[in-house]
Amino acid sequence: MFGKKKQVSTGQNLGVSYWDIVKRQFGKNRVAVWSLYFFYFLVIVALSADFVANEKPYYCQYKGVTYFPLFRGLAVDMGLAKWQPEFAQADWVNMEYDKAVFAPITYSPTTIDIVNSPFKGPFSEQEIKPGRRKHLIGTDQIGRDVCAGMIHGTRIALMVGVLSMSISSLIGIFLGALSGYYGDERLQVSRGRLILNVLFLFFAWFYAFQVRAYAMTDALADGFVPYLIQWLISLFLFLVVMAIPNLLSVVFKRIPYLGYKVAVPVDIIIMRAIEVINSIPILLLILSLVAVLKKPSITWVMVIIGLTGWTGIAKYVRAELLRVRSLEYIEAAQSLGYSEWRIIFRHALPNSLTPVLITIAFGIASAILVESSLSFLGIGVQAELQTWGKLLSEAREDVSAWWLAVFPGLAIFVTVTIFNLIGEGLTDALDPRLKQ
Amino acid sequence: MFPYILKRVLYFIPTFIVISLITFLLSQMAPGDPVELKLKGGMQSANQQASDKLSGEKAYLELSEKYGRNLPAFYFSITSGAEPDTLYKITRKADRESLARLINMYGNWPLISAYYYSVQNLELAVLSMPDDQASFEARKTIRDNCNILYINYDDNEIENILKQTQALVDLSVTDSQQVVHKPLASISGTFGNVKNSYEKVKAEKRPSANLLPAFHWYGTGNQYHRWMFGDVPWFGPNTDITKHSKGFFRFDFGTSYVDDREVSSIIKDSLRWTLLLSFIIVLLEYLISIPSGVILAIRSNTLFDKVYTVFLFICYSLPVVWIGTLLITFLTSDYYGDKFNLFPPYGLGKVGDEFGFWEKVTDRSYHFVLPVFTITLGSFAYMSRQMRGSMLSVIRQDYIRTAFAKGLSPGKVYWKHAFRNSLLPIITIFSSLLPAMISGAVIIEYMFNIPGMGRVSYDAQVQRDYPVLFTILLFSAILTMLGNLLADILYVMVDPRISFNKKM
Repeated sequence: MFGKKKQVSTGQNLGVSYWDIVKRQFGKNRVAVWSLYFFYFLVIVALSADFVANEKPYYCQYKGVTYFPLFRGLAVDMGLAKWQPEFAQADWVNMEYDKAVFAPITYSPTTIDIVNSPFKGPFSEQEIKPGRRKHLIGTDQIGRDVCAGMIHGTRIALMVGVLSMSISSLIGIFLGALSGYYGDERLQVSRGRLILNVLFLFFAWFYAFQVRAYAMTDALADGFVPYLIQWLISLFLFLVVMAIPNLLSVVFKRIPYLGYKVAVPVDIIIMRAIEVINSIPILLLILSLVAVLKKPSITWVMVIIGLTGWTGIAKYVRAELLRVRSLEYIEAAQSLGYSEWRIIFRHALPNSLTPVLITIAFGIASAILVESSLSFLGIGVQAELQTWGKLLSEAREDVSAWWLAVFPGLAIFVTVTIFNLIGEGLTDALDPRLKQ
Repeated sequence: MFPYILKRVLYFIPTFIVISLITFLLSQMAPGDPVELKLKGGMQSANQQASDKLSGEKAYLELSEKYGRNLPAFYFSITSGAEPDTLYKITRKADRESLARLINMYGNWPLISAYYYSVQNLELAVLSMPDDQASFEARKTIRDNCNILYINYDDNEIENILKQTQALVDLSVTDSQQVVHKPLASISGTFGNVKNSYEKVKAEKRPSANLLPAFHWYGTGNQYHRWMFGDVPWFGPNTDITKHSKGFFRFDFGTSYVDDREVSSIIKDSLRWTLLLSFIIVLLEYLISIPSGVILAIRSNTLFDKVYTVFLFICYSLPVVWIGTLLITFLTSDYYGDKFNLFPPYGLGKVGDEFGFWEKVTDRSYHFVLPVFTITLGSFAYMSRQMRGSMLSVIRQDYIRTAFAKGLSPGKVYWKHAFRNSLLPIITIFSSLLPAMISGAVIIEYMFNIPGMGRVSYDAQVQRDYPVLFTILLFSAILTMLGNLLADILYVMVDPRISFNKKM
């Protein structure tokens, strides 16, 4: 395969990069291209969810004064502004406006329209307040608008897919690259460095995580972001402590016994780790992880899906690097005396990443599936959030609510399908047999 | 082949150890104190006597022993240098955690433990005071304050509580004869102890002691060892009544926190439903997808192939939750017309001895139609696609052309020569099928209310019944590993070209 920026030097293809070929091949697959467009559409829906489905008017006149509640509401959510006292506890649905302009869907996912509960279908009689619109695809048991819920659910579905796959990709690519490039023999370390590193692993863990354990638990109670910050501080400390043995080993290397080079079986270690994770049924693992959380939330579910879903990517990258590492240009880089890290991350890895896109596309599909199954089971999702899986599960309350059984599930199905189609399209586009 | 199988089995051991460690770590991280939850109520009666307090402690200790929670967690522990190796002997989880916090803040364990015992003395002193109407409220508040002190480590709050208690101890009551007396004067000395010891903890703090690591070795008397191997002797009668557990390897998985049932019996009851369902599903999947994949490959690039491939793709992308919900909504009730009331929505149907065997079998299969269909749809599509792909790649090979060239009939070429080699990928799928099956079982059994492993693990998750949840986790990991092993062995048997005796 060709380098990312390397030019294909056959005469007629002069100036056409590998990426151009992939793009052209992908463009030939019309279904995949349409899936990609649909994905863009979903991204737009997710980004504009607050403006498309919101109970607050864009603009309103209330008791003779003009307000822009929707925009102010967003600012309040971001902590930039405060509500005017008259709106602090406003009941947006039942308020009497002099004049108001509403979003296309005049309900938020959490708006409880008590008059239209329980389970008012799209075709059944609905009592709609003046200025508000009909519930397009009905309401659920307590009168929440299903359409608004689905629009806001798009955001969560995409966030789950993208965030968890980012985590998975980071871990998977890193570990896969190490395992594929080094194998079991290539990582030659002096005995002294190995011993010191193992010894200091214990100290690094102690100072980074044990000593700071309470700072971290306290941050955990505050929420995910404070915890993440504390965790990163710990990680930094860990790396600082681990730097010590590697500096010391420069000296220790001089001692003949400690200077003797031994191979670290990187590949065996990482492959065993993959086997361990693959041996545990993913949904059960996530169930157990969520069970030990004090305050489970959708963010945690994303992180957990990401932390458990990297094995496929790692295997893929490993296989690619096993192939790439014996290519001539890598040998050339080695003979030029480049550092191993530079060879892996600057030279070997970029050439192996394009096929990983396939795994990522399929991975996003399965992450969305796992999340919707979890929220269908009612696990790890906060009560105030509406997700597709949760809406679908409400259909179980009453068989007459067919709209709850059909539409949220359709949304999951379509989203999963387009990611699968994009994955298929990429597979075809990257297949060397099809390339001219 | 035999050395290879032996090697695979040996690989099994470290993987199992790591998985059991992960499971154990999770169970240690689980929030809440099961012993406390179990004993809740009955502990805090208004008119408590010293004997009640002592018997409560005893009950707590007994239950901790039953759950094995009175033991250190693992073979060893790495703690801060200030922490004693006997901290686990404080059996109450909440107390232990707050003491650990205090150690983290002040670093002088002897003084902290003196403070802890002084609070205990205060509580006992209050409890053993004669019952006297005038001081009833004050005594109750002091007792409550003691309970707060046990689990508090925040300096401001402790100072507040101490101040409040001081006021109560100094309380003077004027009785009907206009005599002023202090009903709680007798415990002022004990309370003074609490105050002094706390002051001392703060005055002589050495938080730097926390910066040195300490390593403690506990031996086999620990929770992990007990969970895996049990504490009852393997041979001979059990003479120690404080020992209950036989351990994971002797199929004793502990008892449920919720209803005190043996976890092993819960699993035994639920496993058969999951196994039965899985067996039917795997059988159906292989029976349908292998022939359909082969036929698709033989007829590749015909219209039939194209339409069917699209159909398979759609089936493959269909979320199990959606199909199940749709089927339950539209096919299990009269709401959309009598014609659509085809299947029972959930459950197992007739259970019990009063029904005949065949009656049960027919009823059961009637109940299983929807769940089996729901879960088979997706994986059958996946497997058919795999089978088609692998058969296609085999058909394109030279030896197939040779077989045709020498005049063999197509049937013989496809089914005798190509088929066997195209089976390989299907066997590898088998190993990934098992974990997917167990994950799928959670959803299916929840949806159709089948009391299998998936349903039980869901219930355990919701009720935070950790012994059940973690046992199922470990158990399903073992099942998966066995499945992998089986797949590998089948792999060798089907394809004689593969020899694992070389380095893998």
